[in-house]
Amino acid sequence: MERHAQHAFEAEEVMAYLDGELEARRAAELAVHLVSCSACQEVAQGFRALSERMLSFEVERPSPAMNARVLAALDSSTSANQARTSRALDHGAWNGRPVFARPRNWAIACVVALVVTLALAIPHTRRAETLPASGRNLRNLVAVEPGLAKSQASDLEAQKVTPEDDVQSALAGAPPPPGEELKAPENVGPMIVQTASLNILATNYDQASAAIDKLAAAHGGYVEKLDAKAQTGNARELTASLRIPTKQLDGFLADVRKLGRVEEETRSNEEVSDQYVDLQARLKSARATEQRLIELLGTRTGKLQDVLEAERELARVRGEIESMQGQSTILLHRVNYATVQVDLSEEYRQVLGSGPVSTGSKLRNALVEGFRNLQDGAVGLLVFLFAVGPSLLFWLAILLVPGWFAWRRFRARAQA
Amino acid sequence: MNSDDQLILEFQQGAREAFVELFERYREPIYGFFRRRLEHPARAEELAQECFLALLQNVQRYEPRASFRSYLYGIATHLVAAERRKAGREVVENEKLDDRAAGRNAAGNHDAGIWLRKALGHLEPSEREILMLREYEQLSYGEIAAVLRMPVNTVRSRLFRARAALKNQLLPVK
Repeated sequence: MERHAQHAFEAEEVMAYLDGELEARRAAELAVHLVSCSACQEVAQGFRALSERMLSFEVERPSPAMNARVLAALDSSTSANQARTSRALDHGAWNGRPVFARPRNWAIACVVALVVTLALAIPHTRRAETLPASGRNLRNLVAVEPGLAKSQASDLEAQKVTPEDDVQSALAGAPPPPGEELKAPENVGPMIVQTASLNILATNYDQASAAIDKLAAAHGGYVEKLDAKAQTGNARELTASLRIPTKQLDGFLADVRKLGRVEEETRSNEEVSDQYVDLQARLKSARATEQRLIELLGTRTGKLQDVLEAERELARVRGEIESMQGQSTILLHRVNYATVQVDLSEEYRQVLGSGPVSTGSKLRNALVEGFRNLQDGAVGLLVFLFAVGPSLLFWLAILLVPGWFAWRRFRARAQA
Repeated sequence: MNSDDQLILEFQQGAREAFVELFERYREPIYGFFRRRLEHPARAEELAQECFLALLQNVQRYEPRASFRSYLYGIATHLVAAERRKAGREVVENEKLDDRAAGRNAAGNHDAGIWLRKALGHLEPSEREILMLREYEQLSYGEIAAVLRMPVNTVRSRLFRARAALKNQLLPVK
């Protein structure tokens, strides 16, 4: 019984009793129990000793300067007779309420979330605009329907390109036409690598695509890479990368512009003089080293080991010289030949099936068209939502949140 | 003598002397609160001032939900938390607690103080906070619960754990 009584109270209850936090009836029982229970007395003594020990963490008194500032603030506050809001208070709850129990904090959080969403969304929508091809690919999925492909086969023959087939004539590395020597433009001012890019919408695609090669040749240039695409149900496209002698560039561009309507044109110049000068300097020093090594090998008779060492070094230096000469040639070529990127696309017109079309084909075509319209509509709606949605949400938040507060205040006043 | 809760309500009605009375009562405790939790006495004093200024500026919004003391220490706790966040000091809190003992204290009894602070520094932060609020600020379990926004039973069990842990920490030096 005695033993049971000792365990009738947990140490935690003894602690709460000493803190004056034990419920009254239980506290009275414990008080009686403590008189007789040495174990509990010991526990209680332990807590008291601990509290006493904790008092050794003493601190100095605050300086009187603190009074002055607080009391000055008190005076200005009572004279203004109005509570000012402090910025620090906005960070948290002061009335024992959690941070998000305050509607204003919610509103701030909402606005912050909106701004973050916008910041994330805007670059994506921008990126989507620059990639119109992805939209076309969606359409291609519908266009591979076999019956339709057959019905348009005759049309495709006229295009001289097989459907779904990318003709890629990689002419990269084609040597410059004979007679055109690579010359270092010494003492002729800065060395500039020119690039130009043109997006052209051609009314007569076949003529325009054929003309590109001829134009390049006529201006002393050549086609570096050519990529033609003709996919069923799509406008045909041709991407050509051309190298045109720098002096001829303006004339060439003027001719190319005549091929159709220019939708976009960009030109850029990059100065590479310092690169070239640096390369030449390194080349010169490497050649001097080569010369010295050759002399060394010719005049000195040393150990076989040394001779081998010198030859190895000579080989290394020669390798370097060749590499630098190669770089120099490439650089000169880039300066002498401007890079022109031509994107030619066809002004696409829906082609009707030639000859009599069966009712079945008509229905199928109509169905495909309908499906395409549905898809276009859905994509259009999405594009609209993405384009307008964030700003709509943003302005709604801007306008609604204060309105909501005003309404709440109005309602609170009406109730009072 | 008026209670704290009466005084703050009187001040809310515009009684200047009610605030002066409250300030007199809590000037040293609030300073002590910051002093025990922060490294620099000057910063502790600034934050103590800020605490009273916050009280002053927001008195109109005060609602007598819990006791005035838990309201006041709620502000103080929040200021300390903000200060630690700002300084990124939470990580080094343990070292600071014992470094702080290194002689800047006005009162004597240094050796015992150093050991105690070192031991306190080893406690789990939330338990340490409960223990300090109980021992130094003399808050009731209910008031601590209101300040730290946790159930009273949690306060009691954590306080018990904190005391047991502190006792263990102090044992070797006894």
